[in-house]
Amino acid sequence: MLVMRAFEEAVGEACVTGEIHGEMHLATGQEAIAAALEPLLQRGDVVVSTHRPHLHALASGVDPVAMLAEILERDGLCHGKGGHMHLFDPEHGFMSNGIVGAGAPMAAGYAFAQLREGSDAITLCVLGDGAMNQGAFFETANLAALWRLPVVFLCEDNGYGISVPKASAAAGSLVSRGECFGIPAAECDGSDPLATFEAIGQAFVRARSRIGPSLVVAACYRYRGHYEGDLDRYRSDEEKAAAMSDSRDPILRLSAVLLQQGIVDSDEVDALAADARGQIDAWMAAARARDLPSVEFVRESVFV
Amino acid sequence: MTTELETLQALTTSRLISDVLADEMAKDDRIVVFGEDIATMGGVFGATRQLHRAFGDDRVRDTPISETAFVGLAVGAAQAGLRPIVELMFVDFLGVCFDQLANQMAKNTYMSGGRVRVPVVVRTAVGSIGAAAQHSQVLSATFAHIPGLKVVYPSTPGDACRLLRAAIADENPVIFLEHKRLLMSRVGKLPYADDLQPLDEPALIGQARMLREGDDLLLVSAGYTVQLAMLAANELAAEGISVGVLDLRTIVPLDRAALTAAAEVSKAVLVVDEDYRDFGTCSEVMASISEALGHRAPLLGRHAPDVPIPASKVLEEAVLPSAASIARSARNLLGRL
Repeated sequence: MLVMRAFEEAVGEACVTGEIHGEMHLATGQEAIAAALEPLLQRGDVVVSTHRPHLHALASGVDPVAMLAEILERDGLCHGKGGHMHLFDPEHGFMSNGIVGAGAPMAAGYAFAQLREGSDAITLCVLGDGAMNQGAFFETANLAALWRLPVVFLCEDNGYGISVPKASAAAGSLVSRGECFGIPAAECDGSDPLATFEAIGQAFVRARSRIGPSLVVAACYRYRGHYEGDLDRYRSDEEKAAAMSDSRDPILRLSAVLLQQGIVDSDEVDALAADARGQIDAWMAAARARDLPSVEFVRESVFV
Repeated sequence: MTTELETLQALTTSRLISDVLADEMAKDDRIVVFGEDIATMGGVFGATRQLHRAFGDDRVRDTPISETAFVGLAVGAAQAGLRPIVELMFVDFLGVCFDQLANQMAKNTYMSGGRVRVPVVVRTAVGSIGAAAQHSQVLSATFAHIPGLKVVYPSTPGDACRLLRAAIADENPVIFLEHKRLLMSRVGKLPYADDLQPLDEPALIGQARMLREGDDLLLVSAGYTVQLAMLAANELAAEGISVGVLDLRTIVPLDRAALTAAAEVSKAVLVVDEDYRDFGTCSEVMASISEALGHRAPLLGRHAPDVPIPASKVLEEAVLPSAASIARSARNLLGRL
């Protein structure tokens, strides 16, 4: 989580300096969910992520330098053609896409292939709470339940679709969107990595055992605006202060547990944070050393 | 696919297509088929008949009426290594799955810098047979406008078989447009089906073909209107006009070299299309010829006007190209010379 936090902070700084000219969606504050995924994902699994994909990619084992180079608009993971929202790493079973909810049908496709090949591999489909109102999700949930596909729908419920609060966008509850198709649905505190690990882990077991799809709704809070540069006036200062307080922060919460149980001491926590920043500095330097994408190849890869 | 020519004359193109699908599925177990009413029913035009019986639920599945879900599912399955063929019952339904077609299927290869392949074939029925505005369109230009989709539009039963095999073998997404009149007609009843053999060899996607040589007028078309162009060419030939017919076969990639070569040796060019006019295939073909040859030859399009396809037969006939209207447009064009 420390590395993930430092990763997003470094990318955010590159937006401020103008090193990144394009749109940027950071997942600062949502680290617990990706951290819970990391130990649960196995080789052969596929993650279909969202427009806020960096942390899921890190959890999937995507090369951080290649990813950072892509984010920095260099000759990176996708040779500068995908950018930060469209990260593709087939070797590590990872893809993301920028259309809200559109990953769901493709995730079902990966799961169909996994079911057919007879392995215990599964597909994780990450969606925001806003995506839970998209037809693509409903159509896919229906089909996944009918075909008992090994897919886990993970909703990162940060409470807002850009500026619109969930209360104004989603009728009923988000878990009911799984239950109505007979899909087991659980809610968890997505700022608590251990609780999130538990909830997603149970869903993964159902998928690996070929029982069928599951839905996990993980409540979390996005520390940044929807995008870098978002004035973020739709969330009150009071709300933000409460949601980002030390007692809610996923990193500080886990630190507190580890300190309390005597697993680490405060010096070790500080050292881990410093190590994370050092790691990111090294990755950023390596990514910055990558060439810019060659304009000569801009017309290539429309078709293979 | 060793059926005798005599037997073939009695079959519909939809039957030939189902035979090609079965044949290709037998050769490659990565091929899976999804769509509405394609399993037990065998497709509303019968183009997937017998597939479910032969290959079972594992490979041939009816889907709910959820085009976004099954088209997107095909994209994901293709990226996972399968070779899905989906049937979009009517091309008009692209409206309910356009994001998966235009933003996912078409772009994932490019956005991944070539790391991801999306070998999906979307077979879909096009053209007017009296079903009005929401079940009669062609929309070839709508697909063609999006980079990343190949658009194949066969004109004859034999070429439908060859191009379908090529589409299935292609590593890219292919939109395969099947005209309803072609699907439903018996081979022997079509104006032009003299190209039946070989049925088991794939064509080259992106390669147009001359069906008829002539130097007074070049008719350019794709899909079922090629049949009408051949009829019109016969009519005009009887009047002493020498007519060439170029069958584009694929809208994307457009065989611009063949277009230029054919236009260069003709006094005039008439482009025939059942799709809407504005920003459509006719305009693109004429622009391509103009860019290559300047104002060397007069150009004209015979296309559907920019109105939704009407329901009543008399109105439908008024907007669609026919052999007679193509011949009429040809005489008008040649009259300008």
